[in-house]
Amino acid sequence: MLYREAGQFKTTYAADQQIFPIRQDRIAVIALLAVAFVGVPLFASEYWFSAILIPFLIFALAALGLNVLTGYAGQLSLGSAAFMAVGAYAAYNFQLRIEGIPIMLSFILAGLTAAGVGVLFGLPSLRIKGFYLAVATLAAQFFIVWCLTKFPWLSNNSSSGVISTQKLIVFGYELDRPVEKYLLVLSIVVLMAFAAKNMVRSSTGRAWMAVRDMDVAASVIGIRLMPTKLLAFAVSSFYCGVAGAMYAFCYLGSVEPDGFSLDMSFKILFMIIIGGVGSIMGSFLGAAFILLLPIFLDIALPYCADLFGLPFSSATVSHIQILVFGGLIMFFLIVEPHGLARLWQIAKEKLRLWPFPH
Amino acid sequence: MSKKIGEVILDLQNISLRFGGVKALTDISFDVRRHEIRAIIGPNGAGKSSMLNVINGVYHPQEGKIFWHGNERKRMEPHMAARQNIARTFQNIALFKGMSVLDNIMTGRVTRMKANFIEHALWFGRARQEELAHRQKVEEVIDFLEIQHIRKTPVGRLPYGLQKRVELGRALAAEPSMLLLDEPMAGMNVEEKQDMCRFILDVNDQFGTTIVLIEHDMGVVMDISDRVVVLDYGKKIGDGVPDEVKNNEDVIRAYLGAGH
Ligand SMILES: Nc1ncnc2c1ncn2[C@@H]1O[C@H](COP(=O)(O)OP(=O)(O)OP(=O)(O)O)[C@@H](O)[C@H]1O
Ligand SMILES: [Mg+2]
Repeated sequence: MLYREAGQFKTTYAADQQIFPIRQDRIAVIALLAVAFVGVPLFASEYWFSAILIPFLIFALAALGLNVLTGYAGQLSLGSAAFMAVGAYAAYNFQLRIEGIPIMLSFILAGLTAAGVGVLFGLPSLRIKGFYLAVATLAAQFFIVWCLTKFPWLSNNSSSGVISTQKLIVFGYELDRPVEKYLLVLSIVVLMAFAAKNMVRSSTGRAWMAVRDMDVAASVIGIRLMPTKLLAFAVSSFYCGVAGAMYAFCYLGSVEPDGFSLDMSFKILFMIIIGGVGSIMGSFLGAAFILLLPIFLDIALPYCADLFGLPFSSATVSHIQILVFGGLIMFFLIVEPHGLARLWQIAKEKLRLWPFPH
Repeated sequence: MSKKIGEVILDLQNISLRFGGVKALTDISFDVRRHEIRAIIGPNGAGKSSMLNVINGVYHPQEGKIFWHGNERKRMEPHMAARQNIARTFQNIALFKGMSVLDNIMTGRVTRMKANFIEHALWFGRARQEELAHRQKVEEVIDFLEIQHIRKTPVGRLPYGLQKRVELGRALAAEPSMLLLDEPMAGMNVEEKQDMCRFILDVNDQFGTTIVLIEHDMGVVMDISDRVVVLDYGKKIGDGVPDEVKNNEDVIRAYLGAGH
């Protein structure tokens, strides 16, 4: 089937304001969901679930959170990993300290806790912008990790703040197989991605983008800057917080504060730069790209070296990985600041005209 | 022209505004009546834009009083001016570059939308209805300004003249009772200027919107405005109907002095 809008006349504004106005997009999304919920569980191996798909979904959610803040509301943040840490430790503590609390409720509360902390560290954004704000969120990054190591209560007095998460019991059923965890993570991520899409296509999202693009004009129109920015911090941190809780509960099972390092914050930032700043789908593309590239290089590089008969060590692989990442990030920053999602968009526009380009 | 100009709705008394040592406005008083087109003219740097910024709360004058519908106004932030139905456009286009024409104009209705972000996230109840109802209104503005064909275009891709028109659309979407226009025709060709004049007159006429207009093109100003205020170096040097102002000696001197 050709990718066309033609022939799909929209006779009502309601039809034009659907979440995916083009029919082919709707079909693609439904197909993708069917594959993810039905196809993948039938065929994927345990390794794929626990080493690739689950972390991919979790990081995509965190990237989505950062994208709300940075891509839509225009507030740069380097604290995503710290907000994930808040989510992880909050979920752990809710499970630990409240008898019989359902895991889903602790995830939501974990998100809310992260949102609260996010708003607190978002306060400087009312005064400062850009680079200076990034530095302020950097403070959040170090301060939160420091707190988690410094106050043993938060990790139930374990040494150096390591926590081992409780069992994952959903509606009385214990999820311990990777495929079950995958389905749980997938459901949460899909729901939250739709919620994000809905927010950014309505007046909440327009207010964020208005503040991002021209804050004086935004306030002259009647948008109140303070609540708008703080809401972006809250929603963004909520997403990161839930991602962090799942990172601990559904992926690693045991985490320490230093695991949520500045490196990880940067990794999430790179995901949205490469995937697409200000794009929901870009968050997924970026996460997939950043997580899969090292795996791909691990396989491809020794093979290439072999082909050319070059000496080879695992140190070389990691060096080349860094080089490739650096190069790609510079490429996207300079050539295509809207990332893979924009490239995809351009491809679609071309496809819309294909095979008659003029 | 036999339009009904009403009572004074905005009264500025002895406004002074300084930026450090720079006196942008000195002891300026004038009023704006319901339904009129009130022009502000003056050479570059005279303080015209600053005057608009005072009216909608972007700048806060050090001295002076502002009466809005007869009540003295306290210090006010821009978003509150929007809630009192004052809309504006900017001298340097201030559109939201990353958004489409439609979305830009939709933002103009933000003060009238009540649904919160949770309703938006769930696309539930008020959220959905509101988006639809306001879309209807925005489409009326789009029809009025004859920009149906660029509805979905990102504003950054539009030529300058159309961007100015979209910015007017965003202000109109708010259904303002007072519209502040800062050089809406600057940088336009003759044809675009004519269109813009027509839109301004139609807005004034059909919707009864009061308009405060800054414009450098004297022909346009003398043609469409009901009363004119003239500023020079932050001081008021003339005020009255176009013919009066045209023959005012101070005004002639200011313009000759600035121009030659
Ligand atoms: N935010 C500001 N900070 C400092 N000085 C300012 C600011 N805004 C305006 N001014 C000064 O106030 C004076 C009046 O500026 P304003 O922009 O109001 O003039 P204008 O009449 O709109 O001129 P133009 O025709 O060039 O647009 C100028 O000297 C300007 O430098
Ligand atoms: Mg000006």
